[in-house]
Amino acid sequence: MKRRGRGMACMWYPIGFTVAANPSAAVVKVNEDGTATLLTGTVETGQGSLTILAQITAQELGIATDDVHVVSADTDATPMDTGAIASRTTYVTGNAARMAAEKAKLILFDVAAPLLGVKATQLEAQDHKIFVKGFPQRNMHIGDVANHARVVSGQPPIGSASFNPETLALDPETGQGKPFGTYVYATQIAEVDVDDETGEVEVLRVVASHDCGTAINPMLVEGQVEGGVAMGIGFALEEEMLFDANGRHINPNLTNYIVPTSLDTPEIEVDIVDSYDPTGPFGAKGVGEPTLVPTAAAIANAIYDAVGVRITSLPATAEKVFKALQAKREQQPKQIGTGAPPAAGASNNAAVQ
Amino acid sequence: MAEKPKVIEKPDVLEQPDILKPPAVAPLVTFPIEVVVPEVRQQTPAVGQRATRADGRLHGLGQTKYIDDMYFPNMLFAKIKRAGVASARIKSIDTKEAEAMPGVVAVITGSDIPCNSFGPSLKDQPVLADTRVFHAGDGVAAVAAVTEQIATEALEKIKVDYEVLTPVLDPLESLKLATPGVHAPSANIYGHKVIKKGDVEKAFAESDHVFEGSFRTQMVEHVPLEPYACIAQWDANGRVTIYSTLGRITLGRADVARTLGSRIRIVATVVGGNFGGKNEIRAEPAMALLSKKTGRPVKCVYTRAEEFTSSTTRHPLIMDYKTGVTKQGKILGRKIRLVLDGGAYCSWSETTLGKACILSAGPYNIENLYAEAFVVYTNKTMTGAMRGFGAPQVCFAYESHMDDIAKALGIDPLEIRLLNAFDEGSLSPTSQKLHSVVVKESLLRAAKRFGWNGIGNGTGNGNGA
Repeated sequence: MKRRGRGMACMWYPIGFTVAANPSAAVVKVNEDGTATLLTGTVETGQGSLTILAQITAQELGIATDDVHVVSADTDATPMDTGAIASRTTYVTGNAARMAAEKAKLILFDVAAPLLGVKATQLEAQDHKIFVKGFPQRNMHIGDVANHARVVSGQPPIGSASFNPETLALDPETGQGKPFGTYVYATQIAEVDVDDETGEVEVLRVVASHDCGTAINPMLVEGQVEGGVAMGIGFALEEEMLFDANGRHINPNLTNYIVPTSLDTPEIEVDIVDSYDPTGPFGAKGVGEPTLVPTAAAIANAIYDAVGVRITSLPATAEKVFKALQAKREQQPKQIGTGAPPAAGASNNAAVQ
Repeated sequence: MAEKPKVIEKPDVLEQPDILKPPAVAPLVTFPIEVVVPEVRQQTPAVGQRATRADGRLHGLGQTKYIDDMYFPNMLFAKIKRAGVASARIKSIDTKEAEAMPGVVAVITGSDIPCNSFGPSLKDQPVLADTRVFHAGDGVAAVAAVTEQIATEALEKIKVDYEVLTPVLDPLESLKLATPGVHAPSANIYGHKVIKKGDVEKAFAESDHVFEGSFRTQMVEHVPLEPYACIAQWDANGRVTIYSTLGRITLGRADVARTLGSRIRIVATVVGGNFGGKNEIRAEPAMALLSKKTGRPVKCVYTRAEEFTSSTTRHPLIMDYKTGVTKQGKILGRKIRLVLDGGAYCSWSETTLGKACILSAGPYNIENLYAEAFVVYTNKTMTGAMRGFGAPQVCFAYESHMDDIAKALGIDPLEIRLLNAFDEGSLSPTSQKLHSVVVKESLLRAAKRFGWNGIGNGTGNGNGA
């Protein structure tokens, strides 16, 4: 019979490591047609990071996402970057891109100031225009300013910047110190059905409430969370590299190493927690890795809630859950209905290694 | 029995002469010339918009070019011979028969590589194993041939003479001093980290209850849709351009330059999934050397099996927890021991060790903490960076442990978390003052959205049984 259970897990995850140098650099050029080009050494690995960087650059310059063309990932053409790792792109590369865009913008302000008859500090960039603060009708199109910068002022609007969250060593003995720039937090709650005759677990629903600072692009955050939960389900229930006694990997194929498919993916409800981190670009932190961190724990707790067996080793395959159920039945005297609650201590729960 | 098929007097295919047009080419993919840019990409302010991705259109139309789609004139195809034994001494490698095969242009072994070691922190990984094999997925020779098929066949002709050694496979065995060193004379424990705060033994003595739990996680692979791939092109000026699936090209250039001592340009193509598995170089130096030797571009695409056995994986962890709490469920002290199975090479183990150790206490205010983590060598596929760097493993442990404590004390899992969770300004296990902390908000929002009603909420018989 299928038994339903619910389990929760929360987590924290660091963004922007500081125990080693962690720099990213960026170059932003504002073009004469009012568009901009961002040069970055980071790599688009499918997560949408180049769109996020375009949005950050566009925001700083007051133009739209589509106006920013991103050139990336060529060691000859783009500035150095520590890479698409450790959920750092939005936070570290994003800060570098924002700062580079700001420098290009300040050149545009210098060029536009005499034309608009004010000081550069009185200008603002928004909606493709550079305008006087409080007097939006006194404005110039950003492309016209960039063109003027080229043909009249001789000040090409190009900005370059780098960002490195301050590198700090930890105390070698106690490990005390500040190892990361900031942290994100999340909670996931899973609902599962466990078949108490076969041990098979089906994940029905996952609610994922994630903090990423400002969501630069809520759709891409949702994409990351959905992908992370799917990966977490594989980690929780299916995937395992197995080795024989001689140390040879025996399931190096997708027939015997099972990854979740769309049919294994439950309804995933993504909730983005309002938060703002003053150290990130426009308050953003990151979201890539944390999305799969609590999934397996939430599922394991849901299995316990459903059938009362504690899975202490992953993955919780049907075979493993079945064996745990068997061990639990052997431990308990046969009874009808619900018995007395077990005594305190996790060790009383049926466990399986 | 199926009906006997009718004899077709005139195949109806002849009525569609277009089908018979040689050569058989796929119909031209057409796409609208007028590109309609979604409005959401044209709006300001840009931040907060649900902007679609510029590359989404290309992916959707099948126009994205991955490395497997790229071709250069005269390009050769490379394959790597895998050891197939987990631990061995290499006595000799005979490549003569493979080199003599028609279509094989070059064969290299580890001894051809100027500096045959690399690694993001410890330089303990050979590009191609030359004297010792440390895991079954180690490469021992690389072949470049005019077709992928010939290169694959040539691997069979390479004869390697091994002195097979007993592999170390269990991380807990590896931890023991008596166990032979995987990388002797280096010790098997190659990373160790401690986080110490307050007095954990005193906290246990003051606790109403002390709970213990032991948890384990398995080795998994990233399984990106696109396996590792690269093309190396050595030019007449001695500069080599490498097109690669790398996720971090700056570090990649430093690593390749170290092994070859030459001028390197790395271009990362559109990557078909990374998840941490493409954070360091793999076959790039070997492909660059094959290109140098042949004067032709050389492409290498890993098979799915190679992606499993010869690239990095997630660290399996063995985690022991001991937690002292008050009757109300407030955590007073926690002691943790983590053993990470580091596989054959260090790779990103130091980073994983650090993150796992710092995060292992959970997002909770714990004044007395002792967390100790070890990473050890085994003769298995190397473990390295993977989405989460140790965090999914320790989260599985600290959150399972948390539910066990809640259950034993009769407290709702949500309540015990809210009681212990970080607040704005809380101190982390490393005594870092935390800002923009929203763990309680995330708990409450998730609970509300889910409809969490407290203990006995499950309809199964587990929770209250």
